Formats: sequence, structure tokens, C-alpha cells
Amino acid sequence: MEINGQLALTVLMGVFLVAVAAWLTRVENWRSYTPLASGGGAYGQESGHAHEKPGGLIRWFTTVDHKDIGMLYGLYGVIAFLVGGAMVMIMRVELADPGMTLISNTFYNSLLTSHGITMLFLFGTPIIAAFSNYFIPLVIGADDMAFPRINAIAFWLLPPAALLIWAGFLIPTGDIIPAQTAWTMYTPLSAGVGNGNQANAGVDLMLLGLHLSGVSATMGSINFIATIFTERAEEVTWANLDIFSWTILTQSGLILFAFPLLGSAMVMLLADRNFGTVFFAGEGGAILWQHLFWFFGHPEVYILVLPPMGIVSYVLPRFSGRRLFGFKFVVYSTLAIGVLSFGVWAHHMFATGIDPRLRASFMAVSMAIAIPSAVKTFNWITTMWNGRIRLTTPMLFCIGFVSNFIIGGVTGVFLASIPIDLVLHDTYYVVGHFHYIVMGAIAFAGFAGLYYWYPIFTGRMYQRKLGKWHFWLWMVGTNITFFAMILLGYGGMPRRYATYLPQFITLHQIATLGALLLLVGGFIWLYNFIISWLEGPVIESGDPWNLKEDGLYTAEWEWFDRKLQTKITDGGEQQDVATDGGHESDESDS
Amino acid sequence: MAAKIFDKETILDLTVNIIPLGIIGFFVVVFAVYDPFGYDPLASAISFGLLLVPLVALAALTYISGKAIAGDEKRSEVFLAGQATVPGSQTLEEYEAQAEPDHEPAELTDDESAEDAETEPTAQNTDD
Repeated sequence: MEINGQLALTVLMGVFLVAVAAWLTRVENWRSYTPLASGGGAYGQESGHAHEKPGGLIRWFTTVDHKDIGMLYGLYGVIAFLVGGAMVMIMRVELADPGMTLISNTFYNSLLTSHGITMLFLFGTPIIAAFSNYFIPLVIGADDMAFPRINAIAFWLLPPAALLIWAGFLIPTGDIIPAQTAWTMYTPLSAGVGNGNQANAGVDLMLLGLHLSGVSATMGSINFIATIFTERAEEVTWANLDIFSWTILTQSGLILFAFPLLGSAMVMLLADRNFGTVFFAGEGGAILWQHLFWFFGHPEVYILVLPPMGIVSYVLPRFSGRRLFGFKFVVYSTLAIGVLSFGVWAHHMFATGIDPRLRASFMAVSMAIAIPSAVKTFNWITTMWNGRIRLTTPMLFCIGFVSNFIIGGVTGVFLASIPIDLVLHDTYYVVGHFHYIVMGAIAFAGFAGLYYWYPIFTGRMYQRKLGKWHFWLWMVGTNITFFAMILLGYGGMPRRYATYLPQFITLHQIATLGALLLLVGGFIWLYNFIISWLEGPVIESGDPWNLKEDGLYTAEWEWFDRKLQTKITDGGEQQDVATDGGHESDESDS
Repeated sequence: MAAKIFDKETILDLTVNIIPLGIIGFFVVVFAVYDPFGYDPLASAISFGLLLVPLVALAALTYISGKAIAGDEKRSEVFLAGQATVPGSQTLEEYEAQAEPDHEPAELTDDESAEDAETEPTAQNTDD
């Protein structure tokens, strides 16, 4: 009886899928679909045989245009950022009081796990992919990505990945509860052994979702490597490749070597959980997981930070009135970080009791990798030094990036030293350190990019004043929150706990206050972006940042200008545009 | 060919990677000379491997990338990053020649008046 029911369901699903396939072939002639040339897009002004894109939602579900996919990645990343932000706000409010007050300790653990995974895998990687998909083909003069369809597939794997990762929250049953393993998924906890509740299917779904996001990232990285190697315009030699493309190329190389390893480790973990294998059960199983995880996990840090460094290296000179100081230093140091990032993974494991000789080697390479990062910092500072600085919102976020990156980086150098790490390991110091990087640096650079290219992807300008409110609330909020965490760590407050001793209450409340500032700033940003997208002044020039004046006008703006020039006017309505260049506009002369 | 590519200028660019190589090299020597944890065939071999593998990999990548970038610099025109496909953009040489003569400190004012007469007029909406 039950089998018959299942059979009927299977047949029904089969019929449904065939119907969907038949419908799709009707709405789109797939065989004749060629990727649109850059500059083509919905305007189709360049490519002689460019197709009109289908309208409405169908366009977004069927698109293989790199710009559209970039927009989809961006929307996805923003949604994930809001979800991850909401999760952490609940946690921070709970932490305003030492006891278990607002939420249960287990729910806190669930939020902690999902906040980390959401921000790293569902916000960080996709928001970077948003920029790289949209802009790299434009900047390197390619028609589109090397494999446009793989590009689309890579994106469409992400929504199901998010649903699986959040399944524990979305399916409110006793059998499926959110994972409480932290993003590191250390065994034996994550293997579901013992008396805990981590044997439930919610953890399996989270692992599968994470695996799917890894497949997506790997497909994307292969695409970027192929695109940057083979699709560059003739003029774009290796010497002419821009810094953002260099960082994406390096990041893609890291993804290619790191993510498959995470995937394999997770398959082993899933097998341990469901099929009775003992990869991580025996003696040394826990340390094996840590080695496998961190061999992926540390390059992941650079997977997330290199492209934001590229964005800052790309945007910061445009508002300093001069080219990037030591461009090739930045390129070579990016490559150096890429290689060395695979040689430092066990600095996350200094306190596990591994052989001291191995620890010493990992410490040495960890010290060495600080050099290329510091070189970049000096390059950014030197670029600004005596430059004609324009404090636009994207520039403010770039400067905020540099400032926060210095604090995050210096606190990290201390952690690379074994004796100091043994004292500070598993304290809030570590949390403060890496949040200075992931929030203070990576997210800041992401928002610098969002503001800088806002005119390109919306055709409008945001409200400058709100942009600045956003920046200052975030700059102050970030430093209050995460500096308080560094002090908490010095005081010995262990990380990952929902409750704490009363002696830590003041600093925890300060951290919560900072987080509330971040929340307010986030709302301002969201309001600004939505309202400006709908009602902001229309951009009429391909150079809204006055880059030509300093000879810093780049290919993506040139493409945007061409798009504006060839756009069919529909009545010649004109609006004055106040750019964020620090100058009010009096007239539109375009 | 290789000797020409790796001239003084290129070597100077590559110092940024030579320094971390030097740091790792320093620790190889230190651990070889001063050995506080004693010698163990497996642990010591892995320990040195963990230093030597990144050392060799970084050296190789630095060589290959240096050759590719410096080679392209010599083979074709170099533009500022992101500008190679922009019609009418200056080459790096022109940009530098233009920037070099006046060593006066850059303006600290907000004045947007263009010192650069060659910059073509733009269609943007700015005041002066």
C-alpha cells in the first residue's frame, strides 16, 4: 500500500517534470540561444543577432547573461545578509543579559551555527560572485563568461542550498532541528554520537546544503579561471589585467583546491552519520576532521577576503585622484597569499596538542603570510597619501576597510604566535579578531562596491546623506562591537556560550549596543537602496564619479556610457543628478 | 629571453614575494640549527615539508607570474588597470610622463578645476 502511494507520487513528479520541460521549450528556443554580447543586454545594440530577452520573471529564471546572473547573486547575497544579520541580532540581544533570558541555549547554538554558515557561504561568496559576474567580463573585454550556462547552473544551485542549510528552522518538527555544530562542524559532536541531539536530520540537511553551495562555488571558479585565461580582449594582456580580476583569479584557484576537499570531508561525515562508517569515530578521528576542515577553512578566509581587497584596490585610487601605488606589488602579494594560505591551516589547531614541531612550522608560515597582507595595506595608504581625496560613500567604506583591516590583521598576527594563541584560544578575542576582518573589512568592501557601482546596475544615484549615515553608524558600530569582544577575550570570556559570568556584563552590553548601531545602519542602507532604485535621480552620464578628470576612467563605465548613449529615449525627461562626488549639480549637460 | 624579462625593475616588483620566502627560509635554517623539540623522523620530515612545500610553490608561482606579467609588459603596451579597452585612454608611459614633471604636493582642496587640459570634456553632471 505504502509502496503504491510512493509509486504514484513518483509518477506524478515525473509527469510534472516533463510538463515543466515541455513548457520551457515553448517559452524559449534553447538551441538558438546565444549568449548576448557585452553591451547587448536588453538593449541589444551591439550584437547583430542578439535576441530580445524574455520579459518578466521568465527572463530571470532563464537568463545566461553574466550581468543578470550577477544581479541574481547580488539579490541572493543581500537576502542572506539580512537573514544572517537577523540571527545575530537575536543572539546579541540575548547576550545583553548573563542568563538564559530571551531564547533557549539550544536555540542560541542553532543561531550561532546558522549565522556563521549563512554569512560565510550564503552572503560572502555570493556577494563577491555578484561583482565578479557583472564586471569581470566587462572589464576584461569578454563577450560573456566562458561557460554562460554553467554560470547559470552555479547560481541556481544556491537557493536550494540555502533552503537545506536553513531547513531546521523552516521545518518545525521534532525530528528535524537546526544544526548546533557551529560552522566548524567538529566531530564527534557533528557525527551525532553521544547523548546530544545532533543525530537529527537537520544536521544532514545542513551538510547537504553546504555541499551544494560548494559545488556551486567550484563551478563558478572554473568558469572564472576559463574566462580570465581565454576570453580576455587582445589588449588586456597579463600586464593590463585589473586588480579585481587578479584577485578573482586567485580566489578561483583557491576554491578549486579547497572546496572539493570540504565536499569530500562532508561526504565522509555524512557516511559516518548515516551509513555506519567510522572515518571520524576512532582514535584521531576528531583531529582528522580538524585537519580536513581547516585545510579548506583557512583558504576559505582568503577566498572571502581577496576579492574585497581587489574591490578596495580598484575603487580607492579613483577617489584618491591617482592610480594605485605599487600595482604590481598588490598583484604579486595576492598570488603569494593564495599559495601560502594552504600552508597555515593548523594555526587554528595550536591548542589541540599536535606535535610541537608541526606547530612551529605552521607558525612560521603564518608569520610569513602577514607580509603580503601588510604590503597591500601600505599600498592603500600610500595611494591616499597626498592624493586628492574625495570622501564619497564608497571611498569612506574603502577607508573603513583599511582601518578595520589593520586592527583585524594585527590582532591576527598575535594569534599566529603559539604562546599567545594558547592563552587566547577559544575566547572572544578570536571572535573579535575575525569579525574585524569579515564584517569590518569584507562586508565594508562589499558595500563600497555596492555604492560605487550602484549607478551602473540601477541607472540611478543613491541618496548621499543616507549613504554617509550608513557608513558612520557601521564604522562606529563595528568598532564598538568587536573591540568590546577583543577586551572580553582578554578577560577570558569563552566563545560560543549563550550565558556568561556576571563579570562580563558591561562589555557584553557595549557589544550589543554596537550591534544595534549596525542594525540601524543596515536599515538605512536598505531603505536608501530601495527608495533610490525606485525614485533616485536618473544617471545621464557614463562617468558619474568624474573619473575622466584624473585619467582613471575604466572599461565598465565606458560600457555603461555606451549603453546610455544608445538607449532609445522615450520622451526626453531630464532630471538633475547629484553625484556623490562631493558636488551638487546645477545642470545636466548630457 | 628570461634574463631580459627579469631585469632590475621586475626583480624589484618581486621583492614583495621574496620577503615571505626569506622568512620561511629563515625558519628552515633556525629549525635545522636549533632544535628544541628533538628529532623524530616522521614529525621532523613533515615539519620541514610544511615549510619547504609552500616555499617551492611560492617561488614557482612568483617566477611564472613574473615572467607572464613582465613579458607582456615588454611585448605590448601597458595601460592603467581596467583601461586597456577604453578608447583613447593613456598608456602607462604617458600617464607617468604627465605625472612626473611637477612634484608639487597634490592639492588638498576640494577644487575640481582640472589641471589636466588634455582630459576630454565629459558628459557628467558636475559643477565646477
